[in-house]
Amino acid sequence: MSSLSLISYPFRVVKERLQAWFENRLPLSDHVTLTQRTVYIMPTRPGLMLGITLLTLLVASINYQLSLGYLLTFLLAGCALVGMHVCHGTLRGLAMNLIAPHAYHAGATAYFGVNFTNNRRATRYGIGLRVLKPHGADAPDRQSKWAWTDVPAQGSSVLQVAFTPARRGLHRLPRLTAETRFPLGTFRVWTVWRPAAHIMVYPAPEVNPPPLPAGEPGASGAASAVRAQRTGEFDGVRAYRRGDALKRVVWKKAAKADEQGQGLVVRDTQQAQRHELWLDWAQAGAVGVEQKLSRLCAWIVQADQLGLDYGLRLPAREIKPGSGEIHKRQCLEALALC
Amino acid sequence: MLASTLRKLPRDSRDTLFLLAVMAWVLLPQVGHLPLWCSALAAAVLLWRGWLAVQGRTLPGKWVLLALLALTLAATYATHRTLLGRDAGVTLLVVLLTLKTLELRARRDAFVVFFLGFFCMLSNFFYSQSLLTAFSMLLGLLGLLTALVNAHMPVGTPPLAQAAKTAGWMTLLGAPIMLVLFVLFPRMAPLWGVPSDAMTGRSGLSASMEVGTMASLALDESVAMRIRFQGDTPPQRDLYFRGPVLSSFDGRQWQAQHAGVSPRHELPANLQVRGGPIDYEVTLQPSSQPWLIVLDAAAQRPELPGYRSIMTPDLQWLTHRPITDIVRYQAQSFPAFTHGPLQPDPGLQAFVDLPPGFNPRTQALADEIRADPRYAGASASALVQVALERLRSGGYTYTLEPGVFGRHTADEFWFDRKQGFCEHIASSFVILMRAMNIPARIVTGYQGGERNGVDGFWVLRQSDAHAWAEVWQAGAGWVRVDPTSAVAPGRTGAFQRLAAPRGVVAEALGNFSPTLQAQLRATWEAVNNSWSQWVLNYTQGKQLDLLKNIGFKAPDWRDLSVVLLVLIVLASLAGAAWTLWERSQHDPWLRLLTRARKQLSRAGIDSTPATSPRQLALQVLARQGSQGQALHDWLMALELQRYGAASASRPHPLRRLKQQFRRLAWPA
Repeated sequence: MSSLSLISYPFRVVKERLQAWFENRLPLSDHVTLTQRTVYIMPTRPGLMLGITLLTLLVASINYQLSLGYLLTFLLAGCALVGMHVCHGTLRGLAMNLIAPHAYHAGATAYFGVNFTNNRRATRYGIGLRVLKPHGADAPDRQSKWAWTDVPAQGSSVLQVAFTPARRGLHRLPRLTAETRFPLGTFRVWTVWRPAAHIMVYPAPEVNPPPLPAGEPGASGAASAVRAQRTGEFDGVRAYRRGDALKRVVWKKAAKADEQGQGLVVRDTQQAQRHELWLDWAQAGAVGVEQKLSRLCAWIVQADQLGLDYGLRLPAREIKPGSGEIHKRQCLEALALC
Repeated sequence: MLASTLRKLPRDSRDTLFLLAVMAWVLLPQVGHLPLWCSALAAAVLLWRGWLAVQGRTLPGKWVLLALLALTLAATYATHRTLLGRDAGVTLLVVLLTLKTLELRARRDAFVVFFLGFFCMLSNFFYSQSLLTAFSMLLGLLGLLTALVNAHMPVGTPPLAQAAKTAGWMTLLGAPIMLVLFVLFPRMAPLWGVPSDAMTGRSGLSASMEVGTMASLALDESVAMRIRFQGDTPPQRDLYFRGPVLSSFDGRQWQAQHAGVSPRHELPANLQVRGGPIDYEVTLQPSSQPWLIVLDAAAQRPELPGYRSIMTPDLQWLTHRPITDIVRYQAQSFPAFTHGPLQPDPGLQAFVDLPPGFNPRTQALADEIRADPRYAGASASALVQVALERLRSGGYTYTLEPGVFGRHTADEFWFDRKQGFCEHIASSFVILMRAMNIPARIVTGYQGGERNGVDGFWVLRQSDAHAWAEVWQAGAGWVRVDPTSAVAPGRTGAFQRLAAPRGVVAEALGNFSPTLQAQLRATWEAVNNSWSQWVLNYTQGKQLDLLKNIGFKAPDWRDLSVVLLVLIVLASLAGAAWTLWERSQHDPWLRLLTRARKQLSRAGIDSTPATSPRQLALQVLARQGSQGQALHDWLMALELQRYGAASASRPHPLRRLKQQFRRLAWPA
């Protein structure tokens, strides 16, 4: 660590603390209408440069006694003042609505949308939105990128922003900031927004997981017997039953079956799956908790893709075998909150 | 073809081309004042950068730029022999600005270009502050602001017209701020000495006269000064405005004899005035010279704030520093006056000095006249009449193009060419007088002028520059003699004057309608005059006059600051009030609905903010039956106003709904 950063470190910590304290006072909400109270304004570096330019122009006008120089300087100053007002007005009165995000895996880029609504009769130009990096030591060094939009007069527009959730679990959405420098770039007008919504973050699936564990013949032999059908099916194909996943429908035969007045047929995986598939915490290898969860997660994704029935066995919880989107989400949430 | 190519350009290229065009516009007025290489370099770089933008090629590397910069710095130094000062500064500014366009990468670079552009605009005003310059730079400012606004519209490819509209609005709204600051910002003297090169480059009368320099002045139709007479305008032939008085001649050049050169022989002014005074106000264009031009002869010091002035023995009024801006002063002159010593004085010897070896034939002529028995013992005034008679009857003509004179200017005039303009005539006349041992000197200044019919100001142009003579006569002092009027009575009498060759358009216009041309010119100059009266000549004096009109008794610059501060505070308060008002301000439609809900809740129809007008209308119907039909219809119209399909199908504008709201019979 260089001496400079040694000196600046305490300042940075204090600054971050202050910022965190200030932002924690902000209300949590999925909808905000920006007002005078929530919109902040500061001159930018070019704004300070413009100030110096104006001062120089003024001194030149005085020294060379240029009446037109005075006019130019004052007109420019007037424009800058009006620009400040316009800049503030670009955000003030703007309404922002959160479009609730889906669940995401940890480490994957998560997207969610914000809907801007403009009641005014003038377009609001150049509004940027980005996710603020979280406070604290484990925060990524780089801020995320800006997304820009214009909000049309008496209309709305949607911006997508992305962030990468670091840890699994049920998390609050990160803080957002909206900003504009329109029209002259001499002032920065911004707001900080803390959405109230949460996002479910599943564990990151293991990249190259071992193959799925072998099925267990045990307790549910009776269930298998019940499922054994004798309705003229062969080659692992049976008649469609309500609840069958669409991807198991044999679409190639669908047209022909329709002509013959028969129903749809589906591949009968139960035929292949004589045994029940249990994804078991105990079988997920002898590594750490997160790695185990990560492997289980990968297995769930894999099993779901194969269209298998699977059950999940966690130390504190057991989910009975099943399949489909809801089952998968239930299992993944169990992993996320484990 | 060009338009379609431009339209197909990617946004970056389009924006760059626009910025380059604005830069070119801002730099264009400078071209005449910059070194040739600088103008050429600026044009080349801008064109190159434009070509790079159109072709979408990469910008030159850092080393190319550094090399170019070093080269131009050296060239600037070679041209101006310095890197400081005004002219070198302007050259450097132009060079930096154009080179910076080659480095337009990040947003920061763009800002640097913008700010250098503002400086460039200001540097234009060193050379001209005319209305035309102001207008062209206003366009330049709008262009720069448009580019700046456009740079802050990051989404898609917004049309430049949109950015221009925003910039135009901002300028329009900024104008009142400019006006207040311009009127009230305290004017002050230069904070530090202005570099000397700011004083060069403006034409006008000067402290020396080499025969031939006046020719260019005579062709210059620009306005030198404007006068508003407080009474009747004196006859034009009597309007002699005194400028530099030239007394010492070295054979080629007439120069002013500065006071204090030989104090022993210094003559007293000895000014005695008679008759009634003429009061007038002069607006003098900057001359970079210390002469306050006044009508002959001003006994009182012209009132000119910011300048100290003294009268020299030869009646010139000199300021302590050159006049670099438009000034206005009150003066009082007496057309009837005598000045100079009345009796022979050793100091007069300086006014008969002639350099040896020049004009031998003129000297011979003088000796011949002196020797003529007819003029034996003749007075100076009689000899002046002899010389004037010779000018009148000797076949001498007044012309603007007498050609180049040789070594013996007076000889050539009197004997060879017999033509010239006031300068040649006055110079030859004074040389002849001196050769006859009569003290004489040249006075330069302005003569005549004309009235602008539009605003009533008396206008003197550089073309009214004139040179005449003063001859000393015992008992009368210095007496004005205008030899030019002997040659060409029209020159100093009526409006008739030799016209300089005109341009094609002026010629055509003049032939088409001479009065129209005169009218146009008079109007244009009246506009220009108001411009210089109210904008360019807006000095501290005028500011304080303004405060006097408001009611300050003895205003000074502190009062100006107070007024400015009060205005700023008032503006801030107004802003705060507006903010409060805006905070309470909601959607006008919602406010109307809230008012309706309040009225209805008095009648027992309760609702929440989420209740729609339609629901309310149904409740009203249910409660009141057919009595509530009007109220129901109004509520439905309110609903339609907000949620109707399109604005075209909304038959009830909010304004009408508000009017109806007042007329409705609300249930008690």
